[in-house]
Amino acid sequence: MQYFLTQLVNGVIFGGVYALIALGYTLIYGVLQFLNLAHGEVYMMGAFFGFFTMTTLGGPSMSVLPVPLMILLMFVVAMGGSALLGIGIERFAYRPLRRSSRLAPLISALGVSLFLQSAALLLFSSRVRLYDSNLFLSVKSGITVFGVHIDTAEIMVVVGAVLLMVILWFLVNRTNLGRAMRAVAVDQDAAVMNGIDVDRTVVWTFGIASALAGAAGVMSGLLMYPVDQYIGVFAGLKGFTAAVLGGIGSIPGAMLGGFLLGITEAMVTAYLNPTYSDFLAFFILVIVLLVRPRGLLGRPALVKV
Amino acid sequence: MTTTALELTSVTKTFGGLVSLDALSLSVQEREVLSVIGPNGAGKTTFFNIITGVYQPDSGDVLLYGRSIAGMTPDRVARMGVARTFQNVRLFLNLTVRENITAAMYGRTKSNLLDTLLGTPRARRESRENEERVLDALSFFGTRLQGYRLDQPAYSLSYANRRRLEIARAMATGARVLLLDEPAAGMNPAETHEITEIIGRLRAERDYTIVVIEHDMHVVEGVSDRVIALDHGVKIAEGSFDSVATDPSVIEAYLGRGSAAKK
Amino acid sequence: MSEQDQAGRGIGTDEWVAQHEDRVGAPQTGMARVAQQWTRLPGLVRWGIPLVIFLSVPFIGSSDYILRIGINLGLFVLLALGLNLVVGYSGLLDLGFVAFYGFGAYAYAMLSSEQFGVHLNSIVALLLVIGTTASFGFILGLPSRRLTGDYLAIATLFFGQMFAVFVVSSDEFQFPGMSDPVDLTGGANGITQVDQISVFGFTFETNLSYYLLLVVLVVFFTVATKRIHFSRHGLAWRSLGEDTVAAQHMTIPTVRLKLLAFTIGAGVAGLAGAIFASVQQGVYPSEFMLPLLITIYAALILGGLGSIPGILLGAFIMVVLPEVLRFPDYSNGIFLAVLIIAVIATVKSWKVLLWAFGGMIVIGFLVNGILLALQVPYLAAKEWITGPLAPVLGSWVFMPENRVLYGNIAFVALVGLAAWMSIMRRRTRIIVLPLALWLAIWTWEVRLLLEPSVTRQLLIGALLIVLMASRPQGLLGKPRVEVL
Repeated sequence: MQYFLTQLVNGVIFGGVYALIALGYTLIYGVLQFLNLAHGEVYMMGAFFGFFTMTTLGGPSMSVLPVPLMILLMFVVAMGGSALLGIGIERFAYRPLRRSSRLAPLISALGVSLFLQSAALLLFSSRVRLYDSNLFLSVKSGITVFGVHIDTAEIMVVVGAVLLMVILWFLVNRTNLGRAMRAVAVDQDAAVMNGIDVDRTVVWTFGIASALAGAAGVMSGLLMYPVDQYIGVFAGLKGFTAAVLGGIGSIPGAMLGGFLLGITEAMVTAYLNPTYSDFLAFFILVIVLLVRPRGLLGRPALVKV
Repeated sequence: MTTTALELTSVTKTFGGLVSLDALSLSVQEREVLSVIGPNGAGKTTFFNIITGVYQPDSGDVLLYGRSIAGMTPDRVARMGVARTFQNVRLFLNLTVRENITAAMYGRTKSNLLDTLLGTPRARRESRENEERVLDALSFFGTRLQGYRLDQPAYSLSYANRRRLEIARAMATGARVLLLDEPAAGMNPAETHEITEIIGRLRAERDYTIVVIEHDMHVVEGVSDRVIALDHGVKIAEGSFDSVATDPSVIEAYLGRGSAAKK
Repeated sequence: MSEQDQAGRGIGTDEWVAQHEDRVGAPQTGMARVAQQWTRLPGLVRWGIPLVIFLSVPFIGSSDYILRIGINLGLFVLLALGLNLVVGYSGLLDLGFVAFYGFGAYAYAMLSSEQFGVHLNSIVALLLVIGTTASFGFILGLPSRRLTGDYLAIATLFFGQMFAVFVVSSDEFQFPGMSDPVDLTGGANGITQVDQISVFGFTFETNLSYYLLLVVLVVFFTVATKRIHFSRHGLAWRSLGEDTVAAQHMTIPTVRLKLLAFTIGAGVAGLAGAIFASVQQGVYPSEFMLPLLITIYAALILGGLGSIPGILLGAFIMVVLPEVLRFPDYSNGIFLAVLIIAVIATVKSWKVLLWAFGGMIVIGFLVNGILLALQVPYLAAKEWITGPLAPVLGSWVFMPENRVLYGNIAFVALVGLAAWMSIMRRRTRIIVLPLALWLAIWTWEVRLLLEPSVTRQLLIGALLIVLMASRPQGLLGKPRVEVL
């Protein structure tokens, strides 16, 4: 029972990370009906940005700033950098293609993906980085819930993820920008005619989606997962699976999908074979796409023939 | 003794909460030209989509020469002899005129990949036959789509030519029943007149059964043996053009309540 | 209005069409004239010339290395032709295609090596491999009925990744019911000592024999593709790629054809994989991963989707050019040549050309002066460059000691500048051009030359992005029109 609860908690924690990545996919798809294949790479860059912020500030062991401040700064730099990166990608690789074929943006995204991975390799070398967060966030401190120990890093990740989701919910449902995003998602041309600056809205969407991915990257690092130029591939695919599971285009769906995926993955890793946890995500994706393509919380898409 | 080519028996189709077709029943005789009119959103294109298999009816049946085709996939329906054009022209834009028409002859030919690779007599024969059929279908429209145009990509055609090509493509499938979705939309009076003549000739010279969705009453008047008016998925009038055009409920559907009284 | 109206013409008579012949004039530009002459040559000659060239390659400088490149090119062309069926014709974005190549290679390896002690007759092995890979393709294609472009892309991408993961982790595969795990795939080390193909007593042992085998296969599949292009199935595939719903309404059984495309594409890839395994006499997981897939796509797109000469040209560029990059002396020359040609081709006015190249040279010396004044430690020319261009580049390019740091900064600056230039007005772009050119060359020399394999991937990624934005039809493809 103890073991089960520990795995459950693990699942929820990493589920939060998946949820943040899934939110990025869902936001961009919702607004542009475009699946951003390169999203995982933004997550990867975010993890690197956070890492380098940490080392610049003297971390992991000898930070010149108090630890909470250092971590805050890591998030800020990673999210800001990722946002800029995402905005840049949209501006230069996707926007010129907005009115061209269906295939062109996907191919371009493929190119962006490869380019970012290679750029990371070039700039950061192939050395695998570790945040070594246990050096500044003691594993022993933390809380114990139902006999399961949750250390500080994990608390930070969960709290951070939930906080970001709340902020996002607020942004989408209670601000003008959010309303513009929802409008563009429904009908781009009608939105233009109602005075909404679609380009600007898209920029903000990409910025927010990428910032969330960047935050996810830092969180993954804080949880002591390794950081190299390939982590974006699987994080991206699983984040996409979570988004589809919850219903692509649905924000609560992305959150739900993320947590569900995290939990099931933790269970499979613990009780079956760890290697097959990757396969699990793939099977979930295939099954969802075949059996219920709209996902758990999505609405069925109607296409006029 | 005429045969019933196409028949709908009490077909209902809902999308979410919207009833698109409400227990619609109608029949089309062989070699008949039936026009379907009605305001936008009346369910006319859905009606076509149900016949061609894009949607399955929630209840009721669709019969082609007495055989139920409800639930068949569009390609099967097409091979059974029903071809259509689309409201917003859907040609294979990057293929040439000739290729657009030849592609539609898939269901009439039998060559498989082996035939193609080896250049068997069957492949060559069908290739010749296809070319004859291409010219035959296009000849219906004069010289417009012939000569050098045959090898031009479809996207280079003018709007009216694209509509004509779409009809020719539907003919190429070997269908007996043609469903024309707003064939005259966006055409000028001369082109409209020509389309009216063409629809007449399609029936007279090639024995097609034709169902036409149209908004342009000149065309409806010029081609129809019978007219059906739909509104909100329900048949509100049926008969000759004159009787339907003057039917009060039809006028009301188009122009709003009270218009019938004014007339 | 009667049939004989409109100034006495009948229905549908079109003077424009009738007068077509009078309107078509002679080709204007040099390129167009060459193209016209080329198409006038009889088909046999047009096919024969490239064929003769390729057949004579082994006799030019009898180098095994060149034969090896030829073999790689042949395999690559097979893959490209297979993928063309799926993407180029049917418009199905299969990002997991490379998994079939790997599957074919591994299947052949399992049937013809010491892995399980099975050494099947080559023909049997090949047929089995092609058959199973094709079935595999069929299975992957089954979900394609329900998946549209975006979804299909990511689902197949995931599939491709899963294959790679499976292969790497299956050196200890636990069959349910068996007590010990089985080494299926050799894990990260792959399978070695794979048999070479032997047919009717003749064993393919030398690179030359494989090269000739591939020439035969390439010719076969190229001719096959050409025949299919205009055939009943070819048109069916191409129309379903254009508009699946409309194609369905025109009697085309789209579901069946999509599956067929997947199946055949996979089969071809499987065959290529088996040959690859046999040439290398081994299979390793790292060879069947995403970068190869993206390279195949790059070849297809660069050449022009659906254009057969385009596919061949794209494949040639994607395989041969990176080989050249391996030799720093040559790659320098090639890079500069490509850069200069690109600038000359896009800039028409000689004044701008003067500004571009002149300014570039001046900036180079300016930077030298600045960095020298700042006392940045540097390397002398002979420490970092050899080859024919050394004297020129050596004195003009300032090579800092800490190449990586400065190179990285320059790289980021270059990417940013290039991106910015893509949205600048023409005039600003011209002003900035010398700076961009200098920065490009400097970054190349200082940083990118150090890591040819990474640079290659960077260039491919950048190529895809730039192609889609500026020339999506590639070099030899026809511009396409799409309704969204």
